[in-house]
Amino acid sequence: MTLLDFARGPGLQWSLVILVVGIIWRLLGALMITARRDLAKPRPHSRLRDGVGVIASRSLPAHVFEKRIRFQHVSGYAWHIGLFVTVLFFGPHIQFFESILGFGWPNLPNGVVVFAGAVTIALLIALFIRRMTNPVQKLISNFDDYFSMIMVILPLVTGILAFAHIGARYETLLALHLLSIEAMFVWFPFGKLMHTAMSFPARFQAGSGFGRRGVKA
Amino acid sequence: MSVDQAAFAEFREALKAPPTPVDDGLSDAERLARARQTFFARVDRRAAVDLDTCIHCGMCAEACHFYMATEDERYTPTYKFAPLRRFYRREVSPLRWFFKPFTRKLRLAELQDWQELVYESCTGCGRCDMICPMGINLSTMIGIMRQGLASAGLVPAELRALQSEQSDSNSLFGVGAPELTALVDRLREQGVGLPLDRDRADVLMLTTAVEVRLFPESLKAAARILDKAGVNWTLSSTAFEAANIGLISGDRDTRRAAMRRIVDQAKACGAQCVVVPESGHAYQALRWEAANELGEELPFDVYAIAEYAAELVNDGKVKLKATADPKTLTYHDPCRLGRHGGVYEAPRELLAEAGHHVRDTEANRRENVCCGGGCGEYTISHGAALRQKAFEVKRHELDATGAEAVVTGCANCRINFLIGAANSGWDKPILSLVETVAENIAD
Repeated sequence: MTLLDFARGPGLQWSLVILVVGIIWRLLGALMITARRDLAKPRPHSRLRDGVGVIASRSLPAHVFEKRIRFQHVSGYAWHIGLFVTVLFFGPHIQFFESILGFGWPNLPNGVVVFAGAVTIALLIALFIRRMTNPVQKLISNFDDYFSMIMVILPLVTGILAFAHIGARYETLLALHLLSIEAMFVWFPFGKLMHTAMSFPARFQAGSGFGRRGVKA
Repeated sequence: MSVDQAAFAEFREALKAPPTPVDDGLSDAERLARARQTFFARVDRRAAVDLDTCIHCGMCAEACHFYMATEDERYTPTYKFAPLRRFYRREVSPLRWFFKPFTRKLRLAELQDWQELVYESCTGCGRCDMICPMGINLSTMIGIMRQGLASAGLVPAELRALQSEQSDSNSLFGVGAPELTALVDRLREQGVGLPLDRDRADVLMLTTAVEVRLFPESLKAAARILDKAGVNWTLSSTAFEAANIGLISGDRDTRRAAMRRIVDQAKACGAQCVVVPESGHAYQALRWEAANELGEELPFDVYAIAEYAAELVNDGKVKLKATADPKTLTYHDPCRLGRHGGVYEAPRELLAEAGHHVRDTEANRRENVCCGGGCGEYTISHGAALRQKAFEVKRHELDATGAEAVVTGCANCRINFLIGAANSGWDKPILSLVETVAENIAD
């Protein structure tokens, strides 16, 4: 079995198993801890509307706070969008998804996707350095924060290397690209990448909790 | 409307002298075990989700008035409960078997170090809750930290002294039933009748030691509004104190006892509603926490005096006349009345009804900047310098409105403003909402 065979076969399968089981374990494990019913008489509210509202609103600019956090917001939007463009609109990626899902969608030109990937890498490296140097972020960061960023940067870097055929045989670069993605899948449930899943219940409970008090959170 | 300057000066001086710490006789091991036990008990599903979701972005720092005033990274809200988060990961998280080998145990020295961050540099204002991109309720997490520290006997000496006073003798700042009765008698001589200890009443009106000692005009103003509306109300000499030091310090027994006293008295006199005076944390304690703390739905409604007065005005039971001296005022939203309680519009409506023009600070309502001394913080002598810096942030916002005076609906905020103003020579009048409204009751 070659490295590529491993990456395409058992590596991918097992990393996906760990990803899915890990997400469910961590998500349900937290959600299944009991919480007492709130006995305080609520103001008129809609739990669903308030909860879903905050799921949406916390992705938007933050009103009066915005001028103090604009850099974090803009950089955050930028690299997340860059990552989604790279993952979802690169032709070979779409072919891969099509082989699993049975349907595909139009791709963006390779140049656009590579540019998005390169910008995303640059932003993530800049944010990595900022995390090491900004006093607030430096103080509150732990291994997870840095390692998770590396886990996201590596698939982007190996992807561009594989696309450009730089540094090794294409098959080797492709295998490294796949393995870096699989490493990210394996790490996902254990680190902060889990916020992708956890942010939904967290935002929902913020919205519904404050909504009971008549506060639009 | 004016504050008794002699009483205020005496009060301020008293705050400068911290009480001697009391040795509670707990061993270090007992302290740690108690903190752990409290953390275990308080981390429910909601807390678990919050503790599991932080991405360490640090945006919460930008909402904290202590960080804004100093740029000291230690005041980053998510850092203020870092020990709790680690405890969660190591002991409670569904992945604790994975995290345990890499996660340090909770240590007593660490909790002692965090006392300053949890009590002196956090007012629990919850502004950070509004900025977090993940929706984490950071102020609740810091509240759990306070509860853990309280059970470990790590409450600052000032709060601990107040906590003991409230739980041992049902008084605060030396104000108990005799002092309230004396005030009622004094006011009666002045022609202001305050009903005390009526057997049956529709409304149980609360007050606070701070009102009795510093702001009796606020109590008189509330009485005028209730009397004008023809409400059958009473004060209770045994359950008049709305302030809840247990909520502030984190001490469960004090918190529950103070709540129980009011709830039992309201039931005993058949009150349909309890009206909380100008005290943000007291409103939070009774309106939002008491039912859960006592494990029973309350058989009466709880109102802040601002929202109760607004309801009486809206129902036509009290009419306000436009003031002959209209002012441009700015309303400071007390955190626990507004952001934690949803009382935003009633105070503004009342001021407008009284003919004043309200000009908001840039950050207002849910995003309002804290006065800097809420949640009992103004009592902690060691934090005075930091509080003054935080006050300057607020002062800058208030000055930027160009308003002639500041109105607020919380005596705690008012005291902090008065202290900050006295320290810095700020001469902006700081007014009580209920007093401002009562001045304009139509005959």
